[in-house]
Amino acid sequence: MMLEIKLCKLKLRNPTILASGILCNGSLLKRAALEGGAGAVVTKSLTKEIREGYSTPVIIGVEGGLVNAVGLTNPGYENYIAQDLPIAKEGKVPVVVSVAGGKIEEFKEICARAEEAGADAVELNLSCPHVKKHGLDIGADPIAVRKLVKEVDGILKIPLFVKLGLSDNLNKSAIAAQDAGADAIVLINAIRCTVIDIVARKPVLSNVYGGLTGTAIHPIALRCVHELYPKISIPLIGCGGVKDSKTALDFLLAGASAVQIGSAVALRGIGIFREISRGIGHYLKAHGFKNVREIIGVANG
Amino acid sequence: MQEKSFAVKSSGFSKNIFSYEDLEFRPAKIKKIVDESLKVKSFYLEHHSKELPVPGQFVMVWLPGYEEVPMSISDAGKSFIRISVSKEGLTTSEFHKLKSGDKLFLRGPFGKGFSTEGKSFLIVGGGYGTAPLIYAAKVISRKNGKLGYLVGAKNKSELLFLKEARRLGEVQVTTEDGSMGHRGIITDLVEPILDKKDFDSVLTCGPERMMYKVVQYCVNRGIQVQASLERYMKCGFGICGSCVLDPIGLRVCVDGPVFDGKLLLKTEFGNRKRDASGSRIAI
Repeated sequence: MMLEIKLCKLKLRNPTILASGILCNGSLLKRAALEGGAGAVVTKSLTKEIREGYSTPVIIGVEGGLVNAVGLTNPGYENYIAQDLPIAKEGKVPVVVSVAGGKIEEFKEICARAEEAGADAVELNLSCPHVKKHGLDIGADPIAVRKLVKEVDGILKIPLFVKLGLSDNLNKSAIAAQDAGADAIVLINAIRCTVIDIVARKPVLSNVYGGLTGTAIHPIALRCVHELYPKISIPLIGCGGVKDSKTALDFLLAGASAVQIGSAVALRGIGIFREISRGIGHYLKAHGFKNVREIIGVANG
Repeated sequence: MQEKSFAVKSSGFSKNIFSYEDLEFRPAKIKKIVDESLKVKSFYLEHHSKELPVPGQFVMVWLPGYEEVPMSISDAGKSFIRISVSKEGLTTSEFHKLKSGDKLFLRGPFGKGFSTEGKSFLIVGGGYGTAPLIYAAKVISRKNGKLGYLVGAKNKSELLFLKEARRLGEVQVTTEDGSMGHRGIITDLVEPILDKKDFDSVLTCGPERMMYKVVQYCVNRGIQVQASLERYMKCGFGICGSCVLDPIGLRVCVDGPVFDGKLLLKTEFGNRKRDASGSRIAI
């Protein structure tokens, strides 16, 4: 009970959430919930069309993190909702459907179908750093964010999360999303980057540019949460470099109501959610807190 | 990563602890290239590590300018690992143009391999599936394990590693056209040999429908069987989900590629797999 949080209308048994694009498929989302102990899970980002994504290499390690340019690989929302969503729901934790698109109508179509199929929330991916006109190109433009979120919010009953990435307009886009009806802001996504192999003398990713995730981006993501928290009234979900209870707790103290975990699944395995939840529980007990809600934002102002 | 268990522990998760640096490419010089058949070449790559890879493990191999592909380890020593590449698509055709001294870029070895604990083993290999098995057979033989070795291919010219296998013991061959050994498919030989001899474990790799039959034969007789699977892979270290086996969510790259047959029969093994987009398709 100590770790239970309410996120919008959703009840989470603990504040650890599997991030979008990690494990991805229904049966693995179920494992993240049942074996791994995740409080909620997010699907891979679904698009209207089937996308094979970029050719390999698409994910590699670097010092302090992972670099990926997967390319929004997915079987199309209709396929995914038929083959993966039902089994993901067997994990008995909230399932958040991540949605990516180019046009407002695509977002609306996918969100409506996700809600109808039993998604507990949707997360608009307005932050993918490596697919043109799909992610960050929308999320870095507050006017585009406001328009899109308003349209999607108008047709949804379930909570609407908006995932934003690092840009000069991050705070403005977050406020625009809130004003347009978003129920929570997830920040941040992978940070645009590249990797060059000095022996091959070539960029490693087939797409050349990708996104950096993991330990290296944590202080940046933490700054984003800390900076946005006083400016906004809807819940924030911290994402970026959570790998242990310390890096989850600092997000909570900065003002996040929950954290998303991605890259560190590669480091610690599917059980990382339970490990981190336990660590948060120990911290709360050791410092005399009765509930995780008591620490949200205490390091802010 | 070097853990020898090949089945996912029922209670938990596979605890494959990587550091991010483990997931970077490292260059590997090609020491030697050997023609194995018309379509298959073996590449001996410079590779130094304290422990030898477990048979059944794989490496991700990148040829700059082309794709990165998962490759079974077909042999390994203190200073090399061998991969055996069949010329299939654009990237593997480019592999075939490489010369000794050229470089490939590796990540891994990854995954859980074959358990070679025991006294007697039956190897059942079809086509390119013999790549991880010849290495497994060598490791078993070094540990003085007894070996039965069945190998099959479409025709004589596609049989792989026959000389190496014969150095380890008796080899039974099948070809679909009858150009060598028994005319037919390898599964014809599995039941007769299981009737005659006892084995602690059966190791199989090859076309999935073939493996499915082998696994069924063994599980029905209560014989332990380990099968090495192939699935579309992107990351190789357990996070992208591309290689998942539904409905229990096994990842071929870290929970496998070698699985216990009984566990596989609880999955879509032999029936369905996912394509590059993640759509489930029939095998």
